[in-house]
Amino acid sequence: MKPITRRDFLKVASAAPLAGALAPALKGAPAAAESKVRVVLVRDPGPLGSGGAPPADVVLKMLDDGVKALLGETDIAKAWKTLIKPGDTVGIKTNAWRYIPTTAEVEQALKKRVMEAGVPEDRIGIDDRGVLRNPIFQNATALINARPMRSHHWSGVGSLIKNYIMFVPQPSAYHGDTCADLATLWELPAVKGKTRLNVLVMFTPLFHGVGPHHYAKEYTWDYKGLILSLDPVAADATGLRVIQAKRKEFFGDDRPLQMNPHHIQLADTRHHLGTSDPARIDLVKLGWSEGILV
Amino acid sequence: MSQPQTADARLLASYIPATAGPWLSEADQVFDAATIFDYIDGAGEVYRSYNMKRLVARRFHKDGKPDIVVDAFDMGTAGDAFGVFTHDLDGEDAAAGQGSTYKAGLLSFWKDRYFLSVYAEEETAETKELVLELGRAIARAIPGEGKKPALLGLLPPDGLEAGRVRYFHNHSVLNYHFFVADADIFELGGTAAAALAEYGRSRLLVVAYAEPAAAQSARASFAGAYMPDAGGKSIVKTENGLWTALRVHGRFLAVVFDEATEEKARARLDAVEALARKTG
Repeated sequence: MKPITRRDFLKVASAAPLAGALAPALKGAPAAAESKVRVVLVRDPGPLGSGGAPPADVVLKMLDDGVKALLGETDIAKAWKTLIKPGDTVGIKTNAWRYIPTTAEVEQALKKRVMEAGVPEDRIGIDDRGVLRNPIFQNATALINARPMRSHHWSGVGSLIKNYIMFVPQPSAYHGDTCADLATLWELPAVKGKTRLNVLVMFTPLFHGVGPHHYAKEYTWDYKGLILSLDPVAADATGLRVIQAKRKEFFGDDRPLQMNPHHIQLADTRHHLGTSDPARIDLVKLGWSEGILV
Repeated sequence: MSQPQTADARLLASYIPATAGPWLSEADQVFDAATIFDYIDGAGEVYRSYNMKRLVARRFHKDGKPDIVVDAFDMGTAGDAFGVFTHDLDGEDAAAGQGSTYKAGLLSFWKDRYFLSVYAEEETAETKELVLELGRAIARAIPGEGKKPALLGLLPPDGLEAGRVRYFHNHSVLNYHFFVADADIFELGGTAAAALAEYGRSRLLVVAYAEPAAAQSARASFAGAYMPDAGGKSIVKTENGLWTALRVHGRFLAVVFDEATEEKARARLDAVEALARKTG
């Protein structure tokens, strides 16, 4: 086992001063007796289409299975009615990155269920970079946050937490310390308290990147999964575990991500947006288990 | 967002061929440090940390084939063009410009004050050949050559892995190559110049500050955060049984990480100091 070094302690997750901190850290700390946050990982082994998503009917079934398991409901209509009310105006915050988008299949599956929950189509918006100018998002009473997870050259990973960066006019203002405080985005008036569901798309995650665009197809794989949670931090922390496990499998060592994705842990420890500790996450796994990695 | 073409952007664009084999180019897009995030969601901050001036992006398209993308960066100085090239040194030498790598469909090289990325959206034998041809053509079209940063002259050659030297200004970039601490304990501040070199398992970091007082301040910051158990000395044996040592000479700060013995750590710092005295 590698020794814990002072460099480990100089990661922001450790708030303790280095002096005197090395020895106690080796002892570990008792886990807090708290209720766990539920995260659902649902996968399907079928083939992906050219756009990188399973067929629409498969995506809808994955989403339904995931939502039911997340909320402990057996009826999908009832489940969605606990998330969305007919009077809501709903923004589906998607991600339009050229190489690995949220996918139309996921967007349309979400929209279908929101409509079935009683929201008319003209009060549902799907947008990424245009949210600040989009009247639906300007007037939204509910948000659904859906994006793929991928390694990211500055924030470590592109995450659900990070997906709300388009709600500010100057996203680069949140890039300091490799995006450490992205969780503060969730305090913005356009966002705060509105998120009803988080969907982390894991159909073809990117686990490593090269070049200015931080993309190479050889560093993606067909994981064919969706991660759902009411807690964006818990969903991101789970997705990050998948990415890290894939890196270990591919590279053969515990190679860290190119940038530290500490914004996920800090969203928990510094900003209290959610739960990042796997010991406090109840991970429910549905469907295809081969190569699940977590 | 594309910007109106300036003389510098036109000059940079003129180095890029209009076609790449049977691939035809689309309209150029031009970005600066403020608009780069309209184009790059990923590494934009890296280029900004190296003081990028502008980027000319040209996409080559052929129906039924992967697109090829040229991202040509004017970094303002050869030092920063070299520096941003050293951000990712993995890959095979591609014999382009003043230093190059190729991997996974991506050719990167630097020449003069320019850094180039030539990228196939999917690597095939055909696109690899095309990417290399295109990149080398661009490199030949850039008339001048640039000098590497003078700071590299403070790296003792004995044991140096010359092809693994990184040059940067930002602590997050330092951490990308060799994690030290989340906080900017070297007080790089985006303006100091730093070189990180490999000597086997050991690392040598040399930083040039604007003035000696800044080097002394950084020394105190680093020693307080990283070596509180050194008892005021400038060398300490760390948890992994290896040695970390630091020294300031004028406006330069040098730190040896993970050296096998105290003597070797001191000897490397002696060598840095001798080179610093020689270069003034």
